[in-house]
Amino acid sequence: MSRTAAEWRQGPKLPATHFVNSRIYTDESLHHEEIEKIFNKVWLIACHESELANRYDYRTFLHPCGRSLILIRGEDRKVRSFYNTCSHRGNTIVREPAGNAARLTCVFHHWTYDSKGACVSIPREREGYGSRLCKEDVGLREVKAEVAYGGFVWVNIDDQCAPLAEFIGRAFEDLEVELSPQLEVFHYHQAVVDTNYKLWHDTNRELYHDYMHYHNRLTGLGQKGYFDRVFHCYPNGHAQLDSMEIQYQAYRGQQRQLTWPGAPKAIHKLIDIFPGTTFILRVPSFRVDTMTPLGANKVLIEFRGLGLKADTPEERAERLREHNNLWGPFGLNLHEDLLANQMQTQAMRDGPEAAHVLHGREENNTTHDEIGMRQYYAEWGRLMGRSPHDPYAKLRDERR
Amino acid sequence: MNADKQISELVYRSCLMLDALDFEGYLGLCAPEFRYTIVAYSPELKKDMVWQDVNKEELKHHLDLVPRHIRDTGTISRFPTVYSITCSADGKRANALTGMQVYKTRLDGGETTLFGICRLIDVIGLDSGNPRLLSRQVRMETRQLGIGSQIPF
Repeated sequence: MSRTAAEWRQGPKLPATHFVNSRIYTDESLHHEEIEKIFNKVWLIACHESELANRYDYRTFLHPCGRSLILIRGEDRKVRSFYNTCSHRGNTIVREPAGNAARLTCVFHHWTYDSKGACVSIPREREGYGSRLCKEDVGLREVKAEVAYGGFVWVNIDDQCAPLAEFIGRAFEDLEVELSPQLEVFHYHQAVVDTNYKLWHDTNRELYHDYMHYHNRLTGLGQKGYFDRVFHCYPNGHAQLDSMEIQYQAYRGQQRQLTWPGAPKAIHKLIDIFPGTTFILRVPSFRVDTMTPLGANKVLIEFRGLGLKADTPEERAERLREHNNLWGPFGLNLHEDLLANQMQTQAMRDGPEAAHVLHGREENNTTHDEIGMRQYYAEWGRLMGRSPHDPYAKLRDERR
Repeated sequence: MNADKQISELVYRSCLMLDALDFEGYLGLCAPEFRYTIVAYSPELKKDMVWQDVNKEELKHHLDLVPRHIRDTGTISRFPTVYSITCSADGKRANALTGMQVYKTRLDGGETTLFGICRLIDVIGLDSGNPRLLSRQVRMETRQLGIGSQIPF
C-alpha cells in the first residue's frame, strides 16, 4: 500500500539505529560540519609509496578541507607532507600532480623550500625584511604523515591526533599477509560523481547490491559459501568482511590462475576504513578507493589498481586486464556502482520530505546483513554529535 | 573509390556503429587479428596507463556482456575527424590518425554534455581491397570520465 505524506515522514518501524534520514546525504551545512568534525581529524590516504619511489619525488593531494597537500620523499627517504601553500602570499607552490624536485620554488616570487619544508631562499630577503623576518620563520606548514598498511601514505592535518596505528587498530589483520609484499600502483583514475561520499562508501559496506551486478550474481551470489561471510566491526568505524572464493568460470568460462601472496585462490576480501577508504582484493586484482567530498552532492573518488612490485610483465598484464574488465573507467562493474549512487542522489532532495534510508537487514552479521552501514553511522553520529536518523533533533530541542 | 576515402569511411563507420550499439557491425569492420587498446597518460603516475587491452575475441566477449549489465540510459555520440592517412609503400597497410570528441546525451530531458576527447590511432589492412581495422589505440586526453562507460570509445 502506498503512503501519505504523513506516513512517509513517520519513518520505518525499525530501531533508530537501523535507518538514517536522507538529509545527511544532501544538507550542505552537514557537509561543512563533517569536514570540520570528521575529515580534519582522521587519517586519510594521500597516495601510495610507489608514487614517490625516488628521493625528491613528490605528489599532491587534495585534502577534504580544501587545501592541496604536497607529499615529498626527502633525501633521507622519509615521506613528509606540507600544505602546498607558499608562506609569502599563499600561492600554490607545486602545480603538477607529481614530479621530482630537491627544491620547491613558488613561481610567484621565487620563495624556495627544501624537502623538509624549510624555507631556504627568499629573494632580496635582507633588503625587504631586515632583521624583522627571516627564512627560518617561514617554513611550510607540516602535516602528519605515515607510510603503512601496504605502503600507503596516510596524512592527518590534526597535530593533536593519535598515531595512525591507534586509529586503525586491528582493522587490517585479515589483509596483513596480502599487504606485506611491496606493492605498486599500475592504475589511477579519478571520478567526480554527483553523489554524497557516504553513499559511495555505503555501497562498499554492503553486498546486498550484488543483485545489481551481473558479474557478481554469477561469480558470487549464486555460489556455495556466499551467504556465510561475516562482517567484523572494529573501533573507530572500520569494518571487514570474511573472504570467499570468486568463481570466475561462471562468468568468463575459466577460473583465474594468477594468485596473490597469502591468497592462493581467487578470493575476495573487503576492508572499509572510516570515513571513506576501501581496500578490495579480488584476486588477481587489488583496488583501493579513497574519497574527497567536494560538497553534499559531489565527491571526488580516486581509484588505484595495484600489483606486486615483483610481478613479471605477464603477471602485471593479467592483473591489469582483470582490474580493467570490472573496475576501469570502461569496466563493466564500476559504472554500475557509480550509476546507482548518482541515481540515489537524483532521488534524494533536501527538504522536509526527506526519505528514510534503511540499513535494517539483520542476518547474524553475514553477507547481506547491513551491520557494516549501521556501525558506520554509529561512528558518524558519535563524531558529529548528531543522530543519523534524526540529525536535527539537537537543534529542535534547543529551540524549545 | 580511392584508398583514402575508403579508410576515412571505415573510421567514420566504426564510430557510427558504436554509437548505434551495433557491436556485430563494428566487429565486422575488424580483421581477425584486431587488437583494441585504450591508453591514457597519467601525470600522477608519470607513465602510460592501459585501460583496456583486448583482442577481437575478448572485445566481442566484453561487448556481448554489455546488454546483461546495468548502464546509463543516455546515449553516446562520437564525432571523429580523420586528420591524416599514411599508406605503406606496398599499399597493404595504412595508418590513420583521428581526433574525436565524445558527447553524452541524457535520455530524460535530452541534455548533452561533453564526455571526453581522444585520438584514434588506427592501423588498417588494405590487402583484400576491403579495408579492415588491424588495430585501434584510443589515446585518451580526458581522464576524468565521471561514472565511466561500459562501451568503449
